[in-house]
Amino acid sequence: MRVGQLTRGWLLILLCSACSGVISQPQPGAAKLAAADGGSAPLPAARDAGAPRAVTSLSRRLSRAELDHSLADLFGDTTAPATRLLPEDSYSPYDNDVDTQLASSAFVDSLSALARDVAERAAGNADLLPCVPKNPKDAECFRQVVTRLVPRALRRPVTDAELAPYLDLLELANAPEQTARPGFEMALSLLIQALVLDPEFLYRVEAAGTRTLSDYEIATRMAYLLWGTTPDQALFADALARRLVPVAERKKVFERMWQDPRTRQQIARFHALWLGYRAIPHDAALAASFARETSALLERVIFDDATSYLDVFKADETYVDKTLAEHYGLPAPDKDAAWVRYPSESKRAGILSHGSVLSAFSKFSDTSPTQRGIFVRTRLMCQPIPPPPPTVAADKPPAGTNAAVCKVDRYSQHRSDSACASCHALTDAIGFGLERFDNAGRYRTHDEGHNECAISGEGEIAGVGKFAGPQELAELLLDNDSIAPCVVEQLAQFALGRAPLANSDDAALLAELREAFAKHDHSFAALIEAFVLSDAFARHTEQP
Amino acid sequence: MKPVRLQRRSLLRGAAGVAVGLPLLECMLPARSAAQTQSAPKRYAIVFAGQALGGDEYAKDEQRVNGESLTQAGHHIVPMQEGEGYDLTTPLRPMAALRQDFSLISGLRIPYSTTSTEPTEVPPGGAFRDFHGGGASPLLCGVRSTSSNFAAAGISSDQAVAQLHAGETALSSLVLRAQPSFYLSGYSFSGRHRISYRGKNDPIEAQDSPRTAYMSLFAGFTPSQGSEQALLAWNLRARRSVLDLITQKRQRLMSVLGAADRARIGKHFDEIRALEQRLAQVPEMSSDTCKVPKDPGADPAVGGDNAGATSSEIATNTGYSGEHERARFMLDLVHMAFVCDLTRVATLQITAFQSHMNTHAISQHFDSPIALKRPLQADLHEVGHNGDAEFRGQLPVSLCLQWHISHYAYLLDKLKSTPEGAGNLLDNSAIVFMPEAGHGRHLNTPSDTAPRTHSVEEMILLVAGRAGGLKPGRHIATGGAHPVQCLLGCMQAVGYGQDQLGEVQGALAALRT
Repeated sequence: MRVGQLTRGWLLILLCSACSGVISQPQPGAAKLAAADGGSAPLPAARDAGAPRAVTSLSRRLSRAELDHSLADLFGDTTAPATRLLPEDSYSPYDNDVDTQLASSAFVDSLSALARDVAERAAGNADLLPCVPKNPKDAECFRQVVTRLVPRALRRPVTDAELAPYLDLLELANAPEQTARPGFEMALSLLIQALVLDPEFLYRVEAAGTRTLSDYEIATRMAYLLWGTTPDQALFADALARRLVPVAERKKVFERMWQDPRTRQQIARFHALWLGYRAIPHDAALAASFARETSALLERVIFDDATSYLDVFKADETYVDKTLAEHYGLPAPDKDAAWVRYPSESKRAGILSHGSVLSAFSKFSDTSPTQRGIFVRTRLMCQPIPPPPPTVAADKPPAGTNAAVCKVDRYSQHRSDSACASCHALTDAIGFGLERFDNAGRYRTHDEGHNECAISGEGEIAGVGKFAGPQELAELLLDNDSIAPCVVEQLAQFALGRAPLANSDDAALLAELREAFAKHDHSFAALIEAFVLSDAFARHTEQP
Repeated sequence: MKPVRLQRRSLLRGAAGVAVGLPLLECMLPARSAAQTQSAPKRYAIVFAGQALGGDEYAKDEQRVNGESLTQAGHHIVPMQEGEGYDLTTPLRPMAALRQDFSLISGLRIPYSTTSTEPTEVPPGGAFRDFHGGGASPLLCGVRSTSSNFAAAGISSDQAVAQLHAGETALSSLVLRAQPSFYLSGYSFSGRHRISYRGKNDPIEAQDSPRTAYMSLFAGFTPSQGSEQALLAWNLRARRSVLDLITQKRQRLMSVLGAADRARIGKHFDEIRALEQRLAQVPEMSSDTCKVPKDPGADPAVGGDNAGATSSEIATNTGYSGEHERARFMLDLVHMAFVCDLTRVATLQITAFQSHMNTHAISQHFDSPIALKRPLQADLHEVGHNGDAEFRGQLPVSLCLQWHISHYAYLLDKLKSTPEGAGNLLDNSAIVFMPEAGHGRHLNTPSDTAPRTHSVEEMILLVAGRAGGLKPGRHIATGGAHPVQCLLGCMQAVGYGQDQLGEVQGALAALRT
């Protein structure tokens, strides 16, 4: 079982297992497999040696977020209809895991409701029309509408023969018994329903074969990777002019797309999913302050200053408003919101000090040292953690006895029980190094409600080193060269819509991306550019 | 909004049928086999609660309420007395007016190996030694689990019954869930959100949107006359035309796809075609009691993630999505789908297995024998683990169970209030209430004798209705029957011809004697 398939429930609080106590460095491409695989066996090749690289790709269904963005761009619907009407995506932690995207009767019912909901609103949107219908049966104008909307929704050119069935919707809409709305509007409504329900819209369909993608297919990959939405008209024009297969021209398109504000939103989304703070249990105002703080850091490092991505973990300033500064106990900003330098004794630096990240992976109304340890191991070091064995009641926190009130003493059960100790040695000590920061990122020196329980704040990554607080943790992970290779793997999982596979092509892709990331002083833009310009990005194969 | 008297689509097509102001009569029942024409259709439903029966390590009469420890019996769902005339316990309070209509089946137990945790050592119909997942398959389908995954290894009891009615109703079953989100950031339901399976590892996804469930069931119903009728007929035709336009693309698209994509996209096309066929079906007219329920409007907003436990940050809209209203409305749909004979089988999973729904908002519905000073501040799963420091043990768990049972009672009351044949709809039904767990030895560590929520011992089921000779109104203590034996008794009461489901044999005879 993959770690990502486990729920927190309380399942992971004890990690007792036949665990070796040693976790190897991430194996390229194999890190999501069971540790038992070890990565030592030669990886199977998925292609002829020497051919350009291709990695396995399945037709990915648009996530709810991708659907909402696409529906906004295509039909002007900004009401987040997919999030309202479709069932929740599975989080693996990304919301686009192709293995979880199976059609069902309930899903198609919901999709049908979505199609009608969107069409109902959009049918009255005159902005969608390239012409003014002269009358409800204006076939020429409807032909223009169909010619404009169908290719954009399906993300490819469409032949006249394919367009013909859509044209028939005008007559259907003008049937005398159809009295709900003007015939032309109703025809537009039916057209939109037909597009929203179309598998070619809902799935990013790629034709079979190990082959170079078409310009349109590449445009689709670029748009959903960088923007989380459908190609816009400029990108569609690039595809029409065949500017996406040639790498030099693709690079220019990438650079233009990178400047688009939607790329910033998409990068923020990736981080929220990766670091687990996409939804956090705080009131809306505080959650919004956290989101503003974290977005500001990501945008500064990745886009505005375009410095090394590792600064996300090192930054000695943070962007806070007055309320948030007070919340953290930081000096107040001199205007509504501003960058404030962390006092040197604060032990804070970078994103690991943010309330957003420190809110995630908490439980029992408090932090969980085990969960935070799992977070560091799985998300920041890309190391798998084995699940607890069935003999252990793993979904309760250590209860504590009269003799053990303080958290650190209660958790000592994890250390004293030999069945538990080997794995908890990998996690709990990490979490205790963050214990002075509560589940809203506030500084504390004692357990909640127990003044007699002082928190030392001392932690350790077994086999790596000791630390206290987020600043030293980040430093340790960076000195150990853990974060950079791991973020490449996390980004690849997000970008591919699946965990990396144990084959030579996935492994080589990850190696190529890690090399590019390191070579360009860990520029996040360079990392994504290297992926977009790679052979693998522009090619399709189904071979496992 | 006032319910609209409806005629079925059959009328639009000129089929015979008139609306009559009488309860269901024999002559109105659809013509089937000679044996079946003698009675109304039998209905089967399961209402599921993702919780256990007691507080972890608390005895059945122990609790901490308003910050004070208290020994007081009568809160655990199982009463002291057997048979009729037992004392109604706290979770059963919503059932006061329905005492004669349901039985409480206690002492149920799923077998497991006390000596081995190996998958190969799980007994037939037994639980893998890891709660929660290990308990799911044997409870739902009577097939042993061999891992902690939440996946049934066989056909679930509701679907085994649904197969009996294949093709006779518009829908073979209605599968619904009230809890729409898992509520823990970074994690997913991973199977906790399913209780209906067509077969091994073949789950049926539940509809979690009341609005969509409503539209799917009742959008095809039309008023009896006027321009509105013609418009709705057109609507149906237009929807089918749109779906037809899509299915026409199937062959061309499939021809260019690789094998794995053909399977995935093919499944999507299959479901589109199935929807088209559902729209084309013309359900038979059943009775004058068949009415379109009122439109629920937009679904309640889905709440954010849950911090858990006693956090002061647990606000009413955190980890809660209006499950109370969602469950009520979905049961309106189940009731009317039964009345209209759109389906004869339904499941409602009010809360998921291991549910992390916030209990703060449902506290307002608690009917507590002890005045409570404040809402319960924990998520449902943590309530079992005593997550609220000042309100823990038996009573809070029982009040959450009572909340689930209040929905069950709501359905029963509606069924009972609906005349059918010589009696009422409940007389022709077997309706089960199924909590996830019992309150006995811990499945993971059975050597630990303190009562635990993570237990497949001392489980209960509630069984309501009189279909097939069920005799409700009692507390039946079984002393260790498998829950599926109880389900089998219900299944047989609604026409299931076998005495086995999965690996479990032998219906619980006490339900009918």
